[in-house]
Amino acid sequence: MRAATFQGKGTIDVRHMPDPKIVNPRDAIIEVTSTAICGSDLHLYDGVIPGVEKDDILGHEFMGRVLDVGRDSTLTIGQRVVVPFTIFCGHCFQCSEQRYSACDNSCPVEEQEVAEKAFGYPLAGMFGYSHLTGGYAGGQAEYVRIPYSDVLPLVVPDDIPDDRLLFLSDILPTGWMAALNAEIEPGDTIAVWGCGPVGLFTILSAFQQKAGRVIAIDGVPGRLAMAESLGAEPVNFHETDILDALKQMTGGVGPDAVIDAVGMEAHGFSIDNIADKIKQTVGMGQDRAHVLRQAIMACRKGGRVSVPGVYGGKADLFPLGAMMQKGLQLRTGQTHVRRYTDELLDMIERDVIDPSFLISHRLPLDDAAKGYRNFRDHQDEWIKVVMQP
Amino acid sequence: MNLANWARYGLAATLATAAGGVLFYKRQPHANRDAAPARSARHVRRFGDYRVTGATVSIRATADQIIDCWQNDATLWPQLEYLPFPEGNQDDLLLPPAELRAMASVPMRIRIVTRREGELIAWRSEGEGQADMHGRLRLSDNGSKGIAVEVIMAVRPPHFASALKTEAMMAEALELGLLRDLRRMKMLIEAGEIATAKMRPDAA
Ligand SMILES: NC(=O)c1ccc[n+]([C@@H]2O[C@H](COP(=O)([O-])OP(=O)(O)OC[C@H]3O[C@@H](n4cnc5c(N)ncnc54)[C@H](O)[C@@H]3O)[C@@H](O)[C@H]2O)c1
Ligand SMILES: [Zn+2]
Ligand SMILES: [Zn+2]
Repeated sequence: MRAATFQGKGTIDVRHMPDPKIVNPRDAIIEVTSTAICGSDLHLYDGVIPGVEKDDILGHEFMGRVLDVGRDSTLTIGQRVVVPFTIFCGHCFQCSEQRYSACDNSCPVEEQEVAEKAFGYPLAGMFGYSHLTGGYAGGQAEYVRIPYSDVLPLVVPDDIPDDRLLFLSDILPTGWMAALNAEIEPGDTIAVWGCGPVGLFTILSAFQQKAGRVIAIDGVPGRLAMAESLGAEPVNFHETDILDALKQMTGGVGPDAVIDAVGMEAHGFSIDNIADKIKQTVGMGQDRAHVLRQAIMACRKGGRVSVPGVYGGKADLFPLGAMMQKGLQLRTGQTHVRRYTDELLDMIERDVIDPSFLISHRLPLDDAAKGYRNFRDHQDEWIKVVMQP
Repeated sequence: MNLANWARYGLAATLATAAGGVLFYKRQPHANRDAAPARSARHVRRFGDYRVTGATVSIRATADQIIDCWQNDATLWPQLEYLPFPEGNQDDLLLPPAELRAMASVPMRIRIVTRREGELIAWRSEGEGQADMHGRLRLSDNGSKGIAVEVIMAVRPPHFASALKTEAMMAEALELGLLRDLRRMKMLIEAGEIATAKMRPDAA
């Protein structure tokens, strides 16, 4: 099969790889019909997440048709499925409480040790997202082996096009969980940093969850315009002092909750961010936590901080004092995707939301390298790239 | 009881009584107060001539299911690295998996010496000219997390620790290997299969 593979920092190449086959009884094999590039993939592409190896197949946002099933799969051949990026077993203590991205069993034991050293405990498995999360082959490929296929995939109806369903694999539930983690009360003012796909779905979710106002912060005019079209009030960090602006816009109170939908590769020419960038570049395990620092400073006293943005290392100058003294709450994590997909699919079926507005570019899988480059370097136009194998 | 006696009278007996380690610590009037005395191998790297290591996981199953998997699930055994497992139909004999066997420079015959239903299985190696090893698998209730399964193993150099590995490296490999083995068992019991990222059954 053909698959988008990692060949080193900044190099993606579509190569011929062996077709996957059933390995475990609960497996299924799917033929991918649509797959997307995520902001998280850019962290791999830029080499800021460790544990990615040459020839690793990338991609964790994908859907397709069932091609083969193992003995204990409950899927049937030909069924259409969306596959959540966080792989889970469905039976461990974490899964029993629907914390699927914390599943104890989905990361192969041989791959658990690096994450355990780095984070205290091993992580769950994920598709196409480094060996810290299992080294599973990803979905930017013609075929994918799906473990735990009796619980993991979401079977979707035949009459809804891929474009409206694909984002159930990650970014739509991620935006939804980011808003839930902000514990929005009706009428609240929410500030969202980042108007990439995750930020935009966070804005949409915040309004669904009864936010009164959403203030959207980014530096890319095209993305700010999309945020505005969803009803948010755009603020450009290149032109405005964010802290000041947020105070002014909230009558001096500050946002009730702040959401960091940017993560470890924040842009900006502030002193803290430049220092972080140097340390990140020389491989000191440094995250660029500029946005998180700013969000914590901007949050009102007693407010909530939600962090869907991905971090993988350590952060200097973390405003712990501001967190503690203002009595903030912080919630974060990789998304427990499957926990939210039934509800979100229902909203798509009832036309309450149509996530396909995000798609700016469609490419054949063979053009994956071009997709990665442009999605990173031309963010004004390249909002979301969907590829067909 | 001093350490030399303790080793002579049989480590297995001491390991079998979970209280053994606790008593040993409680005897020391000014020892660090610690709610996990001698439970984590990290606290007791060495007992006399022995290196002691161990690992713990929690499994959502009954104690019987856990013992049953270890005792009867032939899909588990070939995946084990260091945790001894029952040998065929010989009730009280255990087999060392390949990695454990490779770690010892002489053969091992392992026999179960204590069995407390749903709670504890302790074993030791026996016979002249055999590698000296003691161990136990202990089960205890861990509430909504399931059953805590702990394995502790004590091995005695020089028959353990080959020329290629220092004692410390051996202890580390053993500890890591036991943890992997317990995690494989947990996967098999909870998820019905052992996780793998292989794309094909024949892949390396
Ligand atoms: N928690 C999860 O499970 C999960 C899932 C998917 C993605 N993510 C993460 O969410 C984050 C966003 O993903 P995406 O796909 O939208 O990525 P993206 O790269 O497309 O978007 C990031 C946006 O942040 C903006 N930005 C950069 N610096 C900023 C600053 N200083 N202030 C305000 N905005 C700034 C960029 O201009 C860009 O529009 C990434 O870190 C990604 O890894 C997390
Ligand atoms: Zn993603
Ligand atoms: Zn699980």
